[in-house]
Amino acid sequence: MRSLILAAALAVAPVGAALAADPIEVVSEAPSGGAEVKIAKMKFQTPEVKVKAGETVTWTNTEALPHNVHFKPGAGLEKDLEGPMLRANQTFTVKFNTAGTYNYICTPHPFMTGKVVVE
Amino acid sequence: MTHAHTPARPMLRMSAALLGSAAFAALLAAGPAAAAETHGQAGAKAAAAHLAAGKEDDPVVLEAPAINPRRVYVNDPAHFASLTQQYVIDGDTARVVGMTDSGFLPNPVVASDGSFFGQVSTTFERISRGKRTDYIEIFDPKTYKPTADIELPNAPRFLVGTYPWMTALTPNNKTLLFYQFSPSPAVGVVDLASKKFSRTISVPDCYHVFPVTDQTFFMHCRDGSLLKVAMGADGKDETAKTEVFRKENEYLINHPAYSPKNGRLVWPTYTGKIFQADLSSGEAKFLPAIEAFTDEEKKAGWAPGGWQQVAYHRGSDRIFLLGDQRAQWKHKAPSRFVFVIDAKTGKRVKKIEFGRDIDSVGVSQDAKPQLYALSTGEKTLFIYDPETGKETAAVNQLGHGPQVITTADM
Ligand SMILES: [Cu+2]
Repeated sequence: MRSLILAAALAVAPVGAALAADPIEVVSEAPSGGAEVKIAKMKFQTPEVKVKAGETVTWTNTEALPHNVHFKPGAGLEKDLEGPMLRANQTFTVKFNTAGTYNYICTPHPFMTGKVVVE
Repeated sequence: MTHAHTPARPMLRMSAALLGSAAFAALLAAGPAAAAETHGQAGAKAAAAHLAAGKEDDPVVLEAPAINPRRVYVNDPAHFASLTQQYVIDGDTARVVGMTDSGFLPNPVVASDGSFFGQVSTTFERISRGKRTDYIEIFDPKTYKPTADIELPNAPRFLVGTYPWMTALTPNNKTLLFYQFSPSPAVGVVDLASKKFSRTISVPDCYHVFPVTDQTFFMHCRDGSLLKVAMGADGKDETAKTEVFRKENEYLINHPAYSPKNGRLVWPTYTGKIFQADLSSGEAKFLPAIEAFTDEEKKAGWAPGGWQQVAYHRGSDRIFLLGDQRAQWKHKAPSRFVFVIDAKTGKRVKKIEFGRDIDSVGVSQDAKPQLYALSTGEKTLFIYDPETGKETAAVNQLGHGPQVITTADM
């Protein structure tokens, strides 16, 4: 199950070396030092996180109800980046390469919203 | 689909093709067939007389009879099929007087003066895949010809089992509002007068659309409040929430009844508690909640259930609520009874036993209304006299899984 989800996560990012032009990219492992966002009670517990360009944010779903992280076009993002559904205790990590404000939702729960501010 | 057990409708279609226009017009004008004579028999008799008189057949495309408050629209979402249909029924004669085709999970609308009907619909270039197009289609209620076809940009429709109040017309019938769920809650505004999509109004986490004036509508929010949306002429829309009027564990059904003519919102819960709001002033006035069932009845398993579980008759200020004995969480199962409730006092006026499973109720808004009881399983619309509680007519073969009744409050 885990590997399936990982494969799905990789599928949304360009395969191979990350292109420098991509403002954000899905990464398979969370390096230390990145920001963390927990998902619980139908909410992104830290709805706004600030990171520096080049840093990562890792989301962890802490409840049985599946959630994901779904970035909408804007702030240099041309297309949707729709993360895979996370089951309990699964994680999803994104590296932010370019400064800007990136808004996101949970696909099946559009009332769950958050943003990442990259400085 | 088999026709063997129900000869009436196929006979009608045959007669429309075979009969001369004069004979068929005479048949239409004859009104309800006598109890002993079916429409098919009356049609056969008229055709025989036409033939005996030596008259020739003169096939024409018929028009529907003049609209009245007993024009009933029955929408068949067809259990999530890509192509669907709507049946237009004349309640007085219990006859299908027209049909329209539509795409995936359309939302029907009917003008409050009956002057048009339409739908917000979705099609794909290869039946159920390929490029998706969302659009609004408006029909003439006599000829059933489309008078407008307005495309909606970026496929914004919320694809959901048909909830009538996810799409609504403003009281002047000039603006159509439809709900968008994803990627964020919003209401699309379509100007029917200029036949153009106007704009999208971003709203908080709220659902359904209840227009009060040509510039104002209400929604129901996740937190248990209503949202008032005032549409600005320059696109500067303002939103404001009311007080929270229901508790988090009071689950409001997806099919409230709403009368735009007097601004009454009638909203039952899973247990039969009925919240009412009077929106007519442009502000929400919450009326005392009603309990449709006594504590004893609730203990015995009585609860509302079905699809369109509630109807409201404005003239008599009465509520019609589908109910039956059921297990908890069986709220979408049909009911065999309708409870008629005085909306002002909350008193039960009558309990009508259908003797069959009914999924949706509707009521015509004339002074002596007809009660419409739709069975999704039987694919049949049963027409009742709510005063006597007696079935007066039925129209069968309404598609695959008909669920939604729409009438105009003319
Ligand atoms: Cu979610």
